[in-house]
Amino acid sequence: MSAPEARDRRLVDAALRCYPARWRRRHADEAAELAALLIADGNPAASIAWSYLLGAAREWLTPRPGRSLSAVAAALLAAACLLVFSAALLAETGPARAAGTTQSPSGPVSPAIKPAAPGAGSPHPFTSCRPVLPRQGTGASPAAGCWLLSIQGAAHARCC
Amino acid sequence: MTAREQDVLRRVGEASVLILVSLADGPKHGYALIQDVRQFAGVELGPGTLYGALDRLDRLGLIESLPAEERRHPYRITAPGAAALRAHLDSLERVSAAGRLRLQLGGA
Repeated sequence: MSAPEARDRRLVDAALRCYPARWRRRHADEAAELAALLIADGNPAASIAWSYLLGAAREWLTPRPGRSLSAVAAALLAAACLLVFSAALLAETGPARAAGTTQSPSGPVSPAIKPAAPGAGSPHPFTSCRPVLPRQGTGASPAAGCWLLSIQGAAHARCC
Repeated sequence: MTAREQDVLRRVGEASVLILVSLADGPKHGYALIQDVRQFAGVELGPGTLYGALDRLDRLGLIESLPAEERRHPYRITAPGAAALRAHLDSLERVSAAGRLRLQLGGA
């Protein structure tokens, strides 16, 4: 399996994991195969994964007899899934973006996120854990900040 | 019961109706459904929308899942599903005829 295929598969799998277990038991294998066929037809993996993600949100939010989760809890779960999915999206270009976001010493820094004791041994005192917007032309989502990268663990620890 | 009350498909959404129309000529699995709907309606069904609609139709007893072929589950329209589709298409035809007639009378 080539790297782009593996990446596409990870993306779709991440979206499918957002469905309730009951749905996954019934449809996950078939849905993964359907996604592979659609990608082979030239459909972008991101749009397929997005469609599954919206389907997962609908699945959680649709009232079912006997389901005890409240609408609020379901919405929180859907939001958590969205966050995981966004992190998976960012992981595709993680190393390149990490390189592009670690060195951003210029520009104003919000006082609210200044550390209490700047310059304590660090050459870039304000790079400790601030959101770094992607630079233009990198193809990155403007909403994506450093926080999501930090979720993915140590691989992107340079950012935060 | 009025014709409108008989039309159980009026609230299930366009995707569900398109899927029922596609299944009207025989069982199909997900990929074949997407391709067929694209061909006869020009509508691109997303896979998430497809499975949502399939589940809804299944819960309503309008379609049923057949035994899996490898990893693919074909779906088949049931007798109540065919009746519901017929009632819905009749309803659409009445609306369509009224619309065309009024357009003609109004000269638009």
